[in-house]
Amino acid sequence: MEALDSLLVGFSHALTPTNLLWALIGVVLGTAVGVLPGLGSAMAVALLLPVTFQLDPTGAFIMFAGVYYGGLFGDSTTSILINTPGNSSAIATAIEGYKMSLRGRAPQALATSAIGAFLGAIISTALIAFFTPTIIEVALQFGPAEYFALAMFAFLATSAVVSTSLIRGLVSLAIGLTIAMVGIDQQSGAERFTLGIPELFEGISVVTVTVGLLAFGEVLHVAARIHRDPARKDTVRGTGRPWLSRADVRRTFPAWLRGAGFGIPFGVIPVGGSEIPTFLAYGNEKRMAKRRAARKGTPDEFGSGAIEGVAAPEAAASATAGTAMGALLGLGLPTSATAAIMLAAFQQYGMQPGPLLFERNGELVWALLASLFIGSVMLLILNLPFAPLWAKLLLIPKNYLYAGITVFAALGVYAASSSVADLVLLLLLGLLGLMMRRYEIPLAPVLIAVILGPLAETNLRRALTENQGDPSVLVASGISIGLYVVIVLAVGFMAVSRIRERRMERRAAEAPADAEPRG
Amino acid sequence: MDATAPATPPSPDTRPRPGGSWLTGRSELAVAALLLAMAAFLAWQTATMHVPPETEFPGPRFFPVLVTILMTAAGIALAVLVAVKPPVPAADDSAPHEAEAEPETNLGHMVQDQATGTHPQHAAETIDWRTVGIVVGALVVFIVLLEPVGWLLSGAVLFFGVSYALGGRRIALDIGIALVFSSVVQLLFVGALGLNLPAGILGGIL
Repeated sequence: MEALDSLLVGFSHALTPTNLLWALIGVVLGTAVGVLPGLGSAMAVALLLPVTFQLDPTGAFIMFAGVYYGGLFGDSTTSILINTPGNSSAIATAIEGYKMSLRGRAPQALATSAIGAFLGAIISTALIAFFTPTIIEVALQFGPAEYFALAMFAFLATSAVVSTSLIRGLVSLAIGLTIAMVGIDQQSGAERFTLGIPELFEGISVVTVTVGLLAFGEVLHVAARIHRDPARKDTVRGTGRPWLSRADVRRTFPAWLRGAGFGIPFGVIPVGGSEIPTFLAYGNEKRMAKRRAARKGTPDEFGSGAIEGVAAPEAAASATAGTAMGALLGLGLPTSATAAIMLAAFQQYGMQPGPLLFERNGELVWALLASLFIGSVMLLILNLPFAPLWAKLLLIPKNYLYAGITVFAALGVYAASSSVADLVLLLLLGLLGLMMRRYEIPLAPVLIAVILGPLAETNLRRALTENQGDPSVLVASGISIGLYVVIVLAVGFMAVSRIRERRMERRAAEAPADAEPRG
Repeated sequence: MDATAPATPPSPDTRPRPGGSWLTGRSELAVAALLLAMAAFLAWQTATMHVPPETEFPGPRFFPVLVTILMTAAGIALAVLVAVKPPVPAADDSAPHEAEAEPETNLGHMVQDQATGTHPQHAAETIDWRTVGIVVGALVVFIVLLEPVGWLLSGAVLFFGVSYALGGRRIALDIGIALVFSSVVQLLFVGALGLNLPAGILGGIL
């Protein structure tokens, strides 16, 4: 098997002491930002991007991937222990996980979530290691029209699915596309939206946009409400040995696999992250428990700490990471904010993810894929016995934590270009990030639009030029028609489920007030 | 939608405060206005763009036209959405003070706190501009000082400013931590990773 040979060569590169060290730094950092609420792997990679410019690219990507995976392992720890999800991908885990911890089963919940995250990551990483050659064969048939369709797919899927409202998603998309257009047009040399400011001729750097929106924007958002929110004392409880009994394993093992099954396809669909599959996996387990209770009389533990409710969402979340890496490397399609920033990192090193990456930078790609396995094992070791220790990170005073992030943001943006003008942009983009958070406009579409916008424009214009301006070329191949059909179906599905949701809400609002749950 | 609106009375917790104007709770209209202003800017810049001669059809203006249309549509749609939807009540004034209304058990209080922690929308309703202002001010001072004064001191000023804004009040300790943090960054990233940071006035000493 060709893939197996390449993977073994990859392992020989990944197992060097330096690359192991980068993997370890990555997974430790990733777990830390995963544990801390408000911070995430996207912000961590954005902050690391400029300061790692001098590194060997293989080491840098091994570290970034470690951060990405680590974020998905770490986010469940505080969900379970103190009901504070480290990231949106762990909200579903918090529902049953915190209940388990209230019943004194926190060690079991933590073990279930760590092993679930490990299994999800390993299964999906193995899938992409063996199936990327197939993805590449499809991707090699892509022309400009197909790439444009792929970018449209990414734009609309992120805007329509990830946000609570389609309109706010489109607002975010429009802002991102506008930022992407600033600068001198590569094809014609025309100056666009620069207002004659020379610092803008080269465009607004992706580093500045991501650091400004994700890091400084988050600092401002925290500043906007830190003195308004009631102060919370976080007490970390629940230590003990993370043993799962045989009965536990019998219940969780199928749940892990089902969860991974939900996660794997969502890694390839650009919906801006792993929240959706975690909720789908959670809902599925809940329904199955109800059915089991009705059929066999086994007690339905959902609502009082069901272990399946922890196992499935965790496996789903980390399963998206593997396939998201596959989509990124094989197609050049970023399906989450973190993947989008990693795509920007590839561009910074002068590489373009996609089918040709495996030919031109095969050594790097296979070392990266091998290090994903190594990183998953490291994460299991770091998270299984030490989860309560990680939760102690919450004891870092908030003022120092966010002051450190601000200094790091300024450092990264300045170091990337040695330009004070970029620091001014950082400030403006931070304020934009604050406004978007305040009005619940999602951030992922901006990032995907900034990174894929130029690709979309170039391919659209190339496709039209090649066909003397005839727009029918955009829907001339099966691949592009297929992608547009999927877009229409996805947006239609979302619209229908939103309307149904709203109708249910209205019905609930019309119901007598005392039926409303309290507390 | 409009025809049925008068028939269904607004539910009590979404009704605007008595005395508040129609605009109360509709500050998002400012976002819509900003989007439309951006669309106008895009349209103006696209129309006056200097296009090099001999550029063929899908030239540099083609994509901006599409984005301008999207931006306009998004701005109008957002304005309509905000205007039609019942306004979000300002959390501090119109939300019932549950804690005062009825005695709460310890557990109930904890759950309440957890809820505000994971669903910050209500608390975020009003932005604490003073704290945001100090953070923004610290970054502005940093931008002004960086090249003349150097990384070490301006980085420390930025760290201290943000820490102070977020409630750090142990001034002497915080200044110390800020200086240590910015020195460690300098040593680590300039020394070990070869980044280029301005040395400034301390350049001769270090």
